[in-house]
Amino acid sequence: MKHHAEFSLDMGCLSLDINQTFDHEFIMISGENGSGKTTFLRCLAGLEKKVQGRWVLNDVVQLDSASSLCVPVHERSVACVWRDAALLPWLNVQQNIELGIRSQDALFFSNLCEALHISHLLARYPAVLSSGEAQRVNIARALCRQAKLVLLDEPFSAQAPAMRQHLRQWFKKSQQEWAIPIIMVSHDLEDVHALADQHWQMQAGRLWQL
Amino acid sequence: MLDPLLISLKLSLITTFILLLVALPLAYVLAFCSFKGRTALEVLVALPLVLPPTVLGYFILVMIAPNTLLGRAWQDVFDASLAFSFSGMVLASVLYSLPFAVQPMQQALRAIPKAWLEMAHTQGLDFKQRLWLVILPASKGGVLVAGALSFAHTMGEFGVVLMVGGSIPGETKVASIALFELVEMQQGAQAWWLSLILLAISFVMLSVVYSVNRQRVGLFK
Repeated sequence: MKHHAEFSLDMGCLSLDINQTFDHEFIMISGENGSGKTTFLRCLAGLEKKVQGRWVLNDVVQLDSASSLCVPVHERSVACVWRDAALLPWLNVQQNIELGIRSQDALFFSNLCEALHISHLLARYPAVLSSGEAQRVNIARALCRQAKLVLLDEPFSAQAPAMRQHLRQWFKKSQQEWAIPIIMVSHDLEDVHALADQHWQMQAGRLWQL
Repeated sequence: MLDPLLISLKLSLITTFILLLVALPLAYVLAFCSFKGRTALEVLVALPLVLPPTVLGYFILVMIAPNTLLGRAWQDVFDASLAFSFSGMVLASVLYSLPFAVQPMQQALRAIPKAWLEMAHTQGLDFKQRLWLVILPASKGGVLVAGALSFAHTMGEFGVVLMVGGSIPGETKVASIALFELVEMQQGAQAWWLSLILLAISFVMLSVVYSVNRQRVGLFK
């Protein structure tokens, strides 16, 4: 199944001009700071309000400026892992992960927590987590939605090398199992080598495949 | 001395309850929505902070006089005058204390990190869920502060309640007016006790405000 993203967005300091089609692949995006990588992910998630274009995921139109169609952010089946873990401090780890989950798949949940090495943290609160642990909880919270597309913005940046290696292997294996597209922004070439089915380069708001 | 104190407490409780209901949506609109006339609305809400209480009281009195639309409607429905009544005093107190409720809530809402709101949105939470699960828990300190300030401010009202409620014993004579009358009648001992009670209430309310504010700073660290 093909997915198609066509965006144009003028933010003053940056003009985004994207036209890409992709399949159920692991797509890595790299590029310089400020080139528009995160903005592109935000467009896919629906967080950029002024974006124009057309975005089709699994044959479902998410955005079509020509017909003024825009699926609200919360109705899009897109799981997002942003750089800021944004864990809610008054909820413990388990409650944070379950935020917005309507029906809990207990087996998926426990496997996920085990794979991300956070099973022992479920009763703790964000204030006592290390940045690496918070980042893994952030990943678990997004993946728990079992969405049709996963967006990852530098998801391993706070991880120790051994954990990074483990997460790469786990993500690669899981992506094939889930058969959904995953788009990940990373500056780390090792991530690209280990994970990428496709490698896209972003420069000054334009995206092309390497 | 007890009657005016009880009327003040009743007035403060009712005013605070109404303000919490009215101020939250208003604060939300002012914190998150941009629209034409937003500045005018913000100024209107803040006006009681700078307007002399007697001026505001006079306007409200004119607005609720029996020959006005509001005054007549009230008379028809409740068969009583809104001017110089406890209900009129509640209306005046709500308007007078509005900025003390709206502004702390507005600040608390604005202080919620954008990342939390966007995360909640991309986690699939609709507006109602975001409100209950993220926005209200994150701003509950502001709501508490708004409640405490509204209560304390209403307890200390003088000019507005005197203009709108008059000073009818057992009905609209509140503690601050009773204190003024006690001093006028040179009843020093009673005036002293009433002042001490009002001072204690204000002290407790401000203690709530400061301790909640300290906890809020910790929440967003």
